[in-house]
Amino acid sequence: MGVFKNKKREIESEIFTGSMADISFLLIIYFMVTSVFSATRGLDFALPEDNRDQPEIKQEDSIDVFVQPGGDLQLDGNLMARGQIADELLPYIAEKLRQNPKKPVILRTDPDATYGNMIYVFDILRTPIEDGGIKIETISIPTQREISNIWTMLGIVQ
Amino acid sequence: MAVIRGRVKKSGGEIFTASMADIVFLLIVFFVLTYNTEVDRTQVDLPETWVRKNIPKKAAVISISSPNDGEVIRVSTGEEMSLPVSTYEEVITFASTVVAQDPAKEFIIKADEDVHYEKVDAVLDALKQSKVKVIFLLSDQRTVDG
Repeated sequence: MGVFKNKKREIESEIFTGSMADISFLLIIYFMVTSVFSATRGLDFALPEDNRDQPEIKQEDSIDVFVQPGGDLQLDGNLMARGQIADELLPYIAEKLRQNPKKPVILRTDPDATYGNMIYVFDILRTPIEDGGIKIETISIPTQREISNIWTMLGIVQ
Repeated sequence: MAVIRGRVKKSGGEIFTASMADIVFLLIVFFVLTYNTEVDRTQVDLPETWVRKNIPKKAAVISISSPNDGEVIRVSTGEEMSLPVSTYEEVITFASTVVAQDPAKEFIIKADEDVHYEKVDAVLDALKQSKVKVIFLLSDQRTVDG
């Protein structure tokens, strides 16, 4: 007697991966075009809390750094050319802080100077002083309005 | 005369593509992890600094374009695309609203290095008036040549 074998036709179960490469490359291109390797770092500074009890800093109790148009400085009233700033600013401040470690630095900038001029000086002020643990504790960046208010309070007409 | 046909064995010129899928997925994973949506597309030449701290994601952004582009101020909460503002009062209103929702919100100032400081000063003043606590001044890495 002949035995009939049931010949079952096997259905191949495959996941169609032909378009995977297309989709993958499409995703890569999308991410490459829309992704931004943006600058996500910068100089930070914390603004003081609005505290009426805080003592007002007088100009003579501080180190006054005034950035002029062109990038030169007036450091406590004395001119310092831009070329000298990198080498001479921090040693000057370190000397002052040795006498009074709490002395704050007031960074003022002429409205006609550029933002780059101000950042150049601010960056140097934020650089750690390589001198026996001396550190600038406070850097104050008053705005023109605040400076005008102080002048008005002191009765100084600009 | 019998002609002997030379059977030239064809060598298959194939590019090995088995690792392509791995590379492609590696790239996709990389992009997914590092993906940043840009909320402000103002083109600026950032000032360069040695000291640079990481800026938290989703910080609010205030950008000032270069003098050649009119020193236009744009603001963004860090989650939506930036919008131009024309007065400093608008900056105060924007910053006050953001701070009211999240008092600890950080702000980024993204300004061209050639911008007149007067503009930056006014923006700083607006942020101070709005009781912003921390401000980041966006910068590029300064190099020895710079």
